Amino acid sequence: MARPYGLLRAGFPFHKTLGMRRLTNFPIDVAVGREGRLYILCRQEGTAAMIRKYTVEDEDLGEISKHGDGEGKMKWPACIIADSEENLYVSDEAMHRVISYDMEGEHRGTWGEHGSEPGRLDRPAGIAFDAEENVYVADAMNHRIQKFTKDGEYMLGWGGHGCGPGEFDMPYGVAVDDEGFVYVADWRNDRIQKFTADGEFVFECGGSGSGNGELNRPSGIDVDGHGDIYVADWRNDRVQLFNHEGRYVQKFLGDATLSKVSREYMLTNASPNRMRDMADLEPQKYLRRPKSVAVDENGLMFIPDNGSYRVQVYRKEAIPLTPQELAAPRRSPSLQQE
Amino acid sequence: MEDERLADLAHLMRRAGFGASRDELEEYARLGYDAVVDMLVESESVPDVDADILERYYFGELFKIRVGEWFYRMLNSRRQLQEKMALFWHHVFATGLSKNEHMLSAANQIATFRRVGLSNLDEILNELSRDPAMIFWLDNNENRKGEPNENYGRELLELFSMGVGSYTEQDIKMASRAFTGWTFTQPIPLYPHGYYPAQFVKREDDHDNGDKSFLGASGNFDGEDIISMIVRQPATAVFISRHLYNFFVADEPQVPAWPIEPPQDPEAIRTLVASYFASGGEMREVMRTLFKSDFFKQARFAKVKSPTELVMGVLKLVGTYRTLDPDLMKYADVTALMGQELLNPPTVEGWHTGREWIDGGTMNERVNFAVNEVGDASKPGISETVDRIEADAPVSPEGLVDRCLELAGRLEVGEDTRAALRTHAGAGGDLDFASDEGRERAEERVVSLMRLIVSTTEYQFA
Repeated sequence: MARPYGLLRAGFPFHKTLGMRRLTNFPIDVAVGREGRLYILCRQEGTAAMIRKYTVEDEDLGEISKHGDGEGKMKWPACIIADSEENLYVSDEAMHRVISYDMEGEHRGTWGEHGSEPGRLDRPAGIAFDAEENVYVADAMNHRIQKFTKDGEYMLGWGGHGCGPGEFDMPYGVAVDDEGFVYVADWRNDRIQKFTADGEFVFECGGSGSGNGELNRPSGIDVDGHGDIYVADWRNDRVQLFNHEGRYVQKFLGDATLSKVSREYMLTNASPNRMRDMADLEPQKYLRRPKSVAVDENGLMFIPDNGSYRVQVYRKEAIPLTPQELAAPRRSPSLQQE
Repeated sequence: MEDERLADLAHLMRRAGFGASRDELEEYARLGYDAVVDMLVESESVPDVDADILERYYFGELFKIRVGEWFYRMLNSRRQLQEKMALFWHHVFATGLSKNEHMLSAANQIATFRRVGLSNLDEILNELSRDPAMIFWLDNNENRKGEPNENYGRELLELFSMGVGSYTEQDIKMASRAFTGWTFTQPIPLYPHGYYPAQFVKREDDHDNGDKSFLGASGNFDGEDIISMIVRQPATAVFISRHLYNFFVADEPQVPAWPIEPPQDPEAIRTLVASYFASGGEMREVMRTLFKSDFFKQARFAKVKSPTELVMGVLKLVGTYRTLDPDLMKYADVTALMGQELLNPPTVEGWHTGREWIDGGTMNERVNFAVNEVGDASKPGISETVDRIEADAPVSPEGLVDRCLELAGRLEVGEDTRAALRTHAGAGGDLDFASDEGRERAEERVVSLMRLIVSTTEYQFA
């Protein structure tokens, strides 16, 4: 799909809240499947790891429980992606590997070994498919990006520890856009770097801080069909949106309401309802330490709200513009009104 | 002389921290004892653990996560005394999850102890009195104008500062009135979206502004005034000094016995009290005095290790968990089985210490744990122990015992124990590392002897 010339950004309203404690404990990432299915990866209080099968309609489809260090198990899962057949791939920071399941949770394969040589992994975090379903891995403690086939055969890699262009400090998220460019959330450098498919540096954006467009340990990252870049700005408790050139557009601090399942639960719990009645409820809407963000082709943005046991969903409203509908770029701002 | 310096430093690090590897001891020896003490008490002079890494990988609200995070700090923080003081204040200002059920507040309380534990006692007690976990634990949220709840006021005097016998029942009532209205905001409840923090709030409309008589003075006292008077009392200096002596120097009787059992070393207590008053209640200075004193240096192995000290000491010995690992949190259960469930002391009195840590069941747990940990030659600390012994080859059985005791933290054992260890070590003659087969056998013998050493009665002492 060709990129539009420009966008009329009508808005990006909050859409809904999904999940609650017990169902979606410490959601760390989400993969979008077909027909409204979601696979919410939960690093459940550090002692259990599971994938909650869910829907955009707040329906629980069951869980895939895989905590452990044995064959097909995961211990510190960090990122989940789904391929075109809805097979799931999960990176595991503790076991230094990538595990694959089918959508029912049957173990399909595992690849990755601990180490620093090319093809080996040390605390792999973000993973992302390209159009051929090769897998880019943010190899965090080796401070590099590596590319593998989906069966784990090493293809290429780039990076190294540092803060210069093409260097990384514990990279976290990785995403690939529909033109094949690779985006990396360079966690400890508080920036986003964009590369060609084989690792040639294109640009960077961000920088340390809490102002608009600044980042404090950016974690997850995704890119939509318009080329918009979404960044889970972890320690700033927000998600930020940059355009395809890396220019800041807006931020999302959280607007959560009680999810459908939460409302049902609370209606049978008088004591916490009283405590809610006594409490300042302002904080309950805000994101808490979001570690990832995912966008689907319908413009829905899913934010696993890691500290609040839920997923916040926003809906993009943007209208593609042609050159006739969007004037040529200006070199400077203007006060003229036409 | 060199041996004595290392022995003093090993002793210091067992008490002011959670033990030290041989490499760390050698680094400290280069600095010198007094400089190491200064570094420990001036904890901000050395870098803290990497909070980025800790928070990136260790998050969540489960009890084991929070305790696991603390264990990571105990093992890896260069600010060892900061962590030890947090544990000390957790003993003294015991607050338990069994009642509170609010993990975030429990973890925040430990973070507060970490932050202010070496500061002034006035500041520490003010922070404590504003701590939501403590307020709820001792019902100060129910301490209202005209309807005082005396639980916090009582324990503030009895267990947290002055000790039984140095104040009156009337003082308790007045202190309680001074703390009316000291409460916290209602946090959003756990369900459905997780813990939210409780914040201290002083409700002026619920505070008793009437005159109060406390410790012989009268006025419209607030909580801060009460604390200000408490910290100037000799009884407070003595009580806190005795706690410090019991925790850092040598086992004392349990706290309830203190009104009738005098301190075993009154001169040491006087020294600490003098430091307390000379510094205006600065814990940093009192600790500096304590660690540089002769009575401290002469108190090697004079106290039973708490479960936390034992477990952390063994993990330091075997050299594991120097990077973050999800398995670290499992040791929360291990110390609990030995009688110390962190963040959940049994009562407001805290844990009974000294020989009360030991019974048939807990002794079994302690020995089995230590033996299992050191029994794996692939663990870095054990592997390094073997390498160091190999560097001395050929090694006689007697030499092996001496070297293993030294590498196990310069453990001092009685003659009977040493004889038993020598008998065990003597079975195979000199250690021979010359061949692969010989090295394998030697490694087995080192591991076997280390297992025996950590099973000794002496190893239970710090």
